[in-house]
Amino acid sequence: MGETTPFDEMYNPDGTVREPYRALSEWLAEQPDRGLALMQTDAEAIFRKLGITFAVYGSEEGTEKVIPFDVIPRIIAANEWRKLSKGIEQRVKALNAFLYDVYHRQEILKAGRIPEKLILNNAAFCPQMMGLEPARGVYAHIIGVDIVRVGVDEFYVLEDNLRTPSGVSYMLEDREAMMLLAPDLFQRSKVAPVENYPENLRRTLQSVAPEGAGSNPVIAVLTPGIYNSAYFEHSFLADQMGAALCEGHDIFVDGGKVYMRTTTGPERVDVIYRRIDDDYLDPLTFKPDSMLGVPGVFDAYRAGNVTLVNAPGTGIADDKAVYTYVPEIIEFYLGEKALLNNVPTYNCTDADQRAWVLDNIGDLVVKEVHGSGGYGMMVGPTSTKAQHAEFKKKILARPDNYIVQPTLALSTCPTHISGDVAPRHVDLRPYVLVGDEVRITPGGLTRVALKKGSLVVNSSQGGGTKDTWVLED
Amino acid sequence: MRLAIDHRLTLTAPTGPFQSVFHLLLTPPGGPTQSVERWDIDMAGFETAGRFVDGFGNVAHLVNQPRSEDEVTIHVRGTVSTRDTHGVIGRPAGEPVPALYRRLTTATKAPPALVAKFRGTKESRVDVLHSLMARVGDMLGLPDETPAQTQMQADGGQSQSQTTEQKTLPAAADYAHLFIGAARALDIPARFVTGYRLNETNEPAVLHAWAEAFDDRLGWIGFDPQRQMCPTDAYVRLTVGLDAETATVLRTVPAAEPAQQLTVSRAE
Repeated sequence: MGETTPFDEMYNPDGTVREPYRALSEWLAEQPDRGLALMQTDAEAIFRKLGITFAVYGSEEGTEKVIPFDVIPRIIAANEWRKLSKGIEQRVKALNAFLYDVYHRQEILKAGRIPEKLILNNAAFCPQMMGLEPARGVYAHIIGVDIVRVGVDEFYVLEDNLRTPSGVSYMLEDREAMMLLAPDLFQRSKVAPVENYPENLRRTLQSVAPEGAGSNPVIAVLTPGIYNSAYFEHSFLADQMGAALCEGHDIFVDGGKVYMRTTTGPERVDVIYRRIDDDYLDPLTFKPDSMLGVPGVFDAYRAGNVTLVNAPGTGIADDKAVYTYVPEIIEFYLGEKALLNNVPTYNCTDADQRAWVLDNIGDLVVKEVHGSGGYGMMVGPTSTKAQHAEFKKKILARPDNYIVQPTLALSTCPTHISGDVAPRHVDLRPYVLVGDEVRITPGGLTRVALKKGSLVVNSSQGGGTKDTWVLED
Repeated sequence: MRLAIDHRLTLTAPTGPFQSVFHLLLTPPGGPTQSVERWDIDMAGFETAGRFVDGFGNVAHLVNQPRSEDEVTIHVRGTVSTRDTHGVIGRPAGEPVPALYRRLTTATKAPPALVAKFRGTKESRVDVLHSLMARVGDMLGLPDETPAQTQMQADGGQSQSQTTEQKTLPAAADYAHLFIGAARALDIPARFVTGYRLNETNEPAVLHAWAEAFDDRLGWIGFDPQRQMCPTDAYVRLTVGLDAETATVLRTVPAAEPAQQLTVSRAE
């Protein structure tokens, strides 16, 4: 784990340009003064026109913001991508096999490969899912794997997001904007397309429709509504797929089957791509006071009359405490070594590890086990002494609520910073679809920490995005 | 023994925007201790109900009705023939792995003092469970000859609601929860059971609750810590779950608490 100089994706240590960035480097050199700044202004206009916004929770200013977009694309070579996508495919297959197992015979627990209590007493484990047979045995159909790069050949998986990962609309819009802004740059490189994501999503969803659905299964996208931070994405994806965008009250269950209200009367729904969390999905089975969900929809799912995507209870496979066992999970179900690295993770419930963590907190990253979106985390090297002390207290009070990892030297990419080009840290979230086959969109969403030296790339914490290019051979 | 059951659940008209949805766990399973001879559920909308098996192996029905101003009645009647197996249920097919029932829930937590003396014991699991049952009885107190002045015991909701001149005892669900929590603290899978129980006194029948714990040799064994006995042929199992909440016989949206009337008698 390079704790020294971060890996620069554009330049070799001797200052020469790495092969995948050659065309970009030449193009950058040709840009007139203020060229990038003008492009940046155009980009903002494009995004405002597209209406892509996101909400920042806990912020007192206006809640709707335009996500910052960086006009310099991030570039991944064909051979690098082949390796990465193989590793990702291996991971999502193993995690789906794991989900099938924990909701059936629990062989991995019987074999003692994962502590039973870690699963059974986990809040993310959903006992109501026991014994259910999801279509094609798939639980997590839509996955966003968070990956960081620290060296030429060194990639680490930070998180497997198997609940309702968001951000794919940024990936699509970033590409669209980039093609408008720099069409000439696309002519110099063969870039793998991402535009077919909505079509692949639709295929994936239809492929997991329950038996008995017709040849053209009906898909509904279930959103919590306009106040959700990702509402734009929900409506965007529904629109792109030609599916109905529904809120809870638009859908109802009758005779164990699911229907949506339409202007021409009730229409049967076969697949629900739900962007509502498990707890709020069905007040009959989960949180009884939830107004967002559909009463009885989980029962209809159990009765085999509708498919929920992703299945409830997938969170047990991306739980931060279970994360440390993913290499074990891959070996157990696939009999293979993990192709992608896990970040070493310290377990604070172990007294020795905890003592070491408390002594070295200034160099470490602390994350809440059930946190996401960069909330409830602390990056040691960029935090104050007071923050260190605060998190030490938190760890001591609830050691099981935190995982601790070394601070990774995230790779950097050239980024446009007020007229200049400077390296900034990036991560990568490729989007994976699992249905009749595994479909991985080349590239994914690159998030960039726009503040110099910052390692926090979350959009809620001042991060931006970049178009991500996978070059074709 | 053959038992006749007549169970009526009445809800005052739930208010809601469109329709009322009912999740019924009111169909008893067959098994080594009981065969269901006849079972009818009478309720508007039941004919078209969705029928499925829930995560715990219970037969469930999902009924929906247009919102009405009237009372909603669910009338359940049936005859079940029972056998006394000293509480042993074994390993019925179609149930989740027993390990599931080591999961702790908010309702099933036991004080450490209750289980401390059983840690590392050389006694057999069955003996431990019997001792646990006795200790739960000691801890919560036991009904006298004229037992439990409680209603809706299986839901655990109204345990202390009835004030009588005599002592007020916890509901059957409280005994079961404590027993289950203690068993799980000892890594023994244990689950919550609701069902019917024939009592030949004059007290009004109520939905009963007890526990089952898993033994590697015998499979599931019933324990009724409120009555300090293993279930006999006077018991009919209706639902199982992690606790009272997951085993509850009726859930509705909008939420409403049913009034229940029950008779359990020997069938002619």
